[in-house]
Parts: sequence; C-alpha cells; structure tokens
Amino acid sequence: MRLGLICDGEPGLGACRRLGRALVQEGAAVTLMSTAPPECLPTAAEEDSEDALGWLPLEPLAAATSDLVQGLDALGVFLEGNAVTAFRAAHRQASALRGQSPCLLFTGPVRPLCGDALMADLLPRLGYDLIALQGDAQRQELEWLLRSCGRSAQAHTLLGLWCLATEPIGSATTPDPVLLVLDETQVPPSPFANGMLYQRLRSIALQTPSWQVRLQPDGPLPADPADWPETSLLWHGLQDRQRPANLQLGEGDDLTLALMQASACLGIGSSWLITAMVWGKPTVVLGDFGIRTEFNGPFFFGSGCLARLADCLPLERLRERPAVNADWLAARGWAIADGPARLLRGLAELRP
Amino acid sequence: MTLNVLLVADSDSQLLACQALTRFGDERDVCFTVNAIPREGTPASVLQALERSGPLWRFTLRQLLADRRLDGFAAIGVYLTGSKLAEFRSTYHLSREQQRRPRRPLFCGFNGVVLERFEEAIAWRLGYDLICLNGPRDQARLELLLRHTPFQGQRTVLTGLGRQRPQEPGAERPRRMVFAEQVVMPAALAERRRLVRILARLARRSPEWELLIKPRVAPHESTFHAVDTHISHTLQESLGSPPANLQLSYAPLPELLSRSKLISTVSSTALFDALDLGCRAVVMDDFGLRHDLGTPFFAGSGLLRSLARAEDLDSLAAAAADPDPAWLYWVGYHPAFSPANLLEALVQLQAHPLTPLQLSQPGYVVNAADLSTNQLRRGAEIAIQSGDLEEATRLLEMAQLQRPDNRNIGRRLAALRLRPALLRRLALLVTPRFRL
Repeated sequence: MRLGLICDGEPGLGACRRLGRALVQEGAAVTLMSTAPPECLPTAAEEDSEDALGWLPLEPLAAATSDLVQGLDALGVFLEGNAVTAFRAAHRQASALRGQSPCLLFTGPVRPLCGDALMADLLPRLGYDLIALQGDAQRQELEWLLRSCGRSAQAHTLLGLWCLATEPIGSATTPDPVLLVLDETQVPPSPFANGMLYQRLRSIALQTPSWQVRLQPDGPLPADPADWPETSLLWHGLQDRQRPANLQLGEGDDLTLALMQASACLGIGSSWLITAMVWGKPTVVLGDFGIRTEFNGPFFFGSGCLARLADCLPLERLRERPAVNADWLAARGWAIADGPARLLRGLAELRP
Repeated sequence: MTLNVLLVADSDSQLLACQALTRFGDERDVCFTVNAIPREGTPASVLQALERSGPLWRFTLRQLLADRRLDGFAAIGVYLTGSKLAEFRSTYHLSREQQRRPRRPLFCGFNGVVLERFEEAIAWRLGYDLICLNGPRDQARLELLLRHTPFQGQRTVLTGLGRQRPQEPGAERPRRMVFAEQVVMPAALAERRRLVRILARLARRSPEWELLIKPRVAPHESTFHAVDTHISHTLQESLGSPPANLQLSYAPLPELLSRSKLISTVSSTALFDALDLGCRAVVMDDFGLRHDLGTPFFAGSGLLRSLARAEDLDSLAAAAADPDPAWLYWVGYHPAFSPANLLEALVQLQAHPLTPLQLSQPGYVVNAADLSTNQLRRGAEIAIQSGDLEEATRLLEMAQLQRPDNRNIGRRLAALRLRPALLRRLALLVTPRFRL
C-alpha cells in the first residue's frame, strides 16, 4: 500500500516519523510530506529504515492539491485544528476539478488527549474516511461525541501510543541518581508560578546533593536562550546566578537520552511522562496544582502516579513510588500492540 | 415523614439550580430550605423567587457551619463553585467530628448542562455522598474518569435537565422569539457584534415578530463568568438604532418562554427550560460546531439552524422540529431522570448511611481532598498553633504554588523560615494570619 503522511512541525512530525517507520516494517511504501528540513528526519541511529521512508518537502495545503498525492492509496493527515478541515476541503476541491476521486483520507490526534481537549481535537476530524485513535478510552469518547453530534457512523481504528516514543531503550547509567523534571514551556502559564516551582526544585537540589536534578525541556526551545519563555523552568534556571551545581539545565535534543539516564521522572502534564511510565521509570505527575484541565490533569487522573512534591522528599522515596496503574495505561493505548497492522487492514477495507 | 433538606448556594446560576430542585418539594413530602450565601450582584429576582418557594436563609458559610440547626436537616445539598465545594465538605465533616455531632449526607450537582471541564469538576466533587448528574452522557464520562481508580465507588444519581413545571405548547402564543444570551458564548467581542447583527437582520426580515434578547444578567448584576461588555452595550455600538421589533428584556426567563413561540440560543441550558414550557427551540449554528461555544453538545439535537440564512422568523418557526428523542435521553432530558431520583436516594441514605469515600490514596490526588488554597492556608494555621512548623511550611509551599501572587502566603512562609526561633515567633505574630 502506498501511503503519504502529512504533518506540520511537532508533535506531528515526530509522531509521523515513528508511524512511517512502523508502516514500512508492515510492508507499506510511505512518504512523509512535511516542510521540516532533512536534519529533523531520522537520526543516524535510525538510518536502517530511512531507505524506505520517503520525504517530500511539501506544505500541507500544497500537498492537498498536488498531483503527487493522486497516485497514493491513502493520505494520513496529522495536522491539528482548522488545518484538518482546510486540508480535506482543498484536497476534495482539487480532485473534483481534476475529475478524479479524492484520496482515502485518515487522521487522528497526534498527542495523548482526553476530555475537552480530545473533543476539540476530534471535531474537525469527523467525516474523514478513517480516524486513528490511540486506545479504548479515546474510542469511547469518540462514540460519545458521535452520539452527541447525531452522527451514525465514523470508521475508526486503534493505533496504540503511536505518537510517543515507546520503543524499548537501552540502559544508560550516571554516577549519581538523576531526577528528570520535564519542563513544559507554558505550564504553569504564569512566570511567577514557574518561578515558585523553580525555587522549590532549587531547594530540593540543595537539600539533596547526592542527586542530580535536571530540568529538561519536553520540546524544542529557541536556539538563543534569550528567547526562552519566562513561563519555562529553564528560563528561571538561566537567571539564577547561584544555581546549585547539581541543578542542571537540559537541552531539547537530549530528551530521549536524558530520559534513559533518569532514575526518576517528574512533570505536570507532559506527554513524555507516559514514555517514562512505559519505560518503567519511577514517575511522578505533580499533583500540587490539582486536577486542572489546562494542565492536562484529567488525562493523568487515573494514572496512579500523582503525588505532591512534598510527598516525594527525600528523593530516595522516589524509588519506592507506586507503579503506574496498568489498566489505566492499557486503556490509553498501551494495550494495542499491532496498531500499524490494524491501520493498514482498516485502510484496505475502505479502499474502493 | 417530611424530609427536611438544606440547599446551599452562592452565585445566580447555582441558586437557579436550587430553585429547580425546590419545585419538587411540593410533589414529594420534602421541605427545602435554601441558604443563599450573601454575594454582591446576585440578581434580586432570583432571591425573590426563592423566597416565594420556601424558607430562605442568608448566612455566610462560617455562620452556617456554626448553626446548630444544621443537625435538623436530613441532608444538605451544596451548589457552589469547585474549591468552595471541597471546602464545605471538608469543613463540615471536620466540624461534625470536633463537636461530636451527627453527620448528614451531603450531595452536590451541576447547574445545567456541563459544556466543559467536566472531569475537573468531578475531581472537586469526589467525596460527596451523592453527585447529581444530568443523564447517561455525564454518567458515562464520570465512569471513564474513575474506572480502575480507588474512587470508582463514588455514588451518583441522575437528576435530569427538566427544571420547570411542564406546560403544553399553546397555539395562541404571540409571534415572539426569545434569544437566550450567554456572557461568554461567543466570548470575542467581534463575534458578539456579529451575533447582534444577525439578530437585527432577522428582526428586520420579520416585521410581524418581536425578537427579545434575554441578557444573562442585568448590567449591575453578576454571574459566574465576568462580563466585560454587557450585551446592551454591544447592541448599542453594533447597531446604533436597532429595529423597533428587536429589544432587550429583563423579565424572568420562564415568564418570557411561556409567552413566546420560539427560543434560540448558542448553547444555553435555557433550551431545556423552553422545552418544559412548551416553547419551540432552535440552536443557532451560525458560528459552527466549536468546542469553545459548547455547540457540539447540541449537535445531535436536530435543532441546529442558521439564523443568518433563515428567510424570516415565520419560516424558522415552521421548520422548527421536535428534538431527537435519543439525544434528549442521552443528555438527560427524560422523565426517567429527575430530582425524584435524588429524593429516593436520600431516603435510602437515611436508612443505610454510606461509608465515606476514602480520598487519600497513594498515587492519586483529588481536588476535593484539601487542595483549595484556603484549605491549605487554614491547615497551615492549625499546624502553626500546634507547633508543627514543618507541616505548616509544607502546606504553605503548596498554597504558594497555586497562588504565587498572594503576598500574605509569602509573608507567612518567610516568617516560618526565619531563624532563630525568637525572631520566627515574632514574625508569626506580626504577619497576617489566614481567616476565612
């Protein structure tokens, strides 16, 4: 099956690269269509599958109307918001003007979502030929959305946690135990609140010299630190002239390695917390802010990994953290082991 | 035997939810007392309506919790915003324990349809003996949130969306359409102007009709959401002189609906009031299905219509359909879901009291536990009084994370950290203590 995957920056790009490679392993010919420069494409360690994963530097709307997509069996549209609707409309219009049938279109959320955020994400995707969801919890929410919207049917399939790095990793050790703090640039959304959290973490680092506390951005930050947002912990770390030696500032590119090296992981609502859980790292979803929609609280509510910062001290206690709620993780998509094969079967059934 | 139930509420919409419950007192052997917590801007009409329906108290939370008459009620229904809900539950339980007085079942609910933040709202309500939900849609969402967690034993009851005494549609109703305004749907001023212009054009195309905009609150009143620009100002600045048959009306909504052929709204719960009162309903879909507008909730109703494209109000009224029965059932507008279910559950609770849900569980954090900033600050003061300065610091650090801009939390925390002890004691004496 010849497939195209459309994305426009992160998190769609990383997700599509992972999905593309998995689909190639299932025997599909996959072309990634994204304006991302080649250096964002597979790393040296991933070059084995690079031969089969094609790349075209096309913007989404250019791809929607391009002749190049007409020969494909299906197009995966992994954009977000209004771009999802615009892509479908442009593709249909271009196909109609050519007197051709539009490509089979599939789509789906490119990050783990639930509740309000999932409903808002799924709304523009309704009407696509196939919606790829992550797990049973999302499937149930789609059914409710369809019921509320009075739609009778919407083809869908379960892809698993495809948009996250969950493939097995090697081990990497450091002399001292490391607490990896995932820094989301806009959470909490106030610089003042971030400053307070930074001060708490700084105190913990000072009180626990035997541990390394590493503040790790969970996504790309501007290359120039002067452009870092004040709503990130790293910005506050940068301003701190007397930052403790064991309070480190990580770089965006190091995220996977940093996670491999971490003895424990802490965050508020980052998707990478799921990766840490899957990799068996003691994980803390910071509960000091409560279950707040804008902090992704409802998503992690049932994870069994929530704790208040004060309850994690001394840091040695992190090693005894309760394991992730396996039933919860399974319902988020971890139970789906053959997602790419399911997707290909689903698309094959829909082909005219 | 008469069941005495106390309802506690503050803002106008919460008081309306209580008013809807009191209606069922006449049908069953229940006596409702409502305590409206004094709050600036609460519409007088809402309070007057409550006064007409039964005893109305006006105590603050503190006064109420100290009042011994609380023991005379069989149950207490709490209709407050999230953090206050948690605070009431926690303080009530604590005060009963300290005073060795009986603990009555507590219940809480929602005021109308829940368009957003449902999961967060449930996280505040956990630990109540009963959570009233509208219908199967809300129940399914709650079950998904609590599934596989230690809280899956949380009791709920479906109380529905019917709030008015049902009336038959009257054929002789005047040609009048009520537009039920919402203060934040849409929120952007440009869209609110567009909304007003659409209504004005529709009024001009329908000279035989009267089109009344029912503002959510009067300009001097307040509701849950802050109102930046009142709809009366938007109307004025968008239209200059609106058509004569387009007017604002501050008359009570049920009164307007009983005397109108049609209601239109973006996503207001008033739609269900209209169905109760025999008024045809139309959901305005000129802004599309957007989560921020709450319109997806109504998408399956079969009531979506474009007001901008409607030929006139006659054609809109003629095309107005009955809502889809399956959708009505799903969202909770069905005779099977009514406050009668709550009253039945309360009677059962009287006979068989429940073991309270244990909210403190390793690996889980519940908003309802003790997470409101006020609770944390109160806990810190208790810890200071008992000499547990470490606990006080811990609680204030959490409070400071939630409210980093609160200077008094910062001052109290700085005082706690002072050394030596004499200096700390002095600082604790001079810095402001938390008082609710």
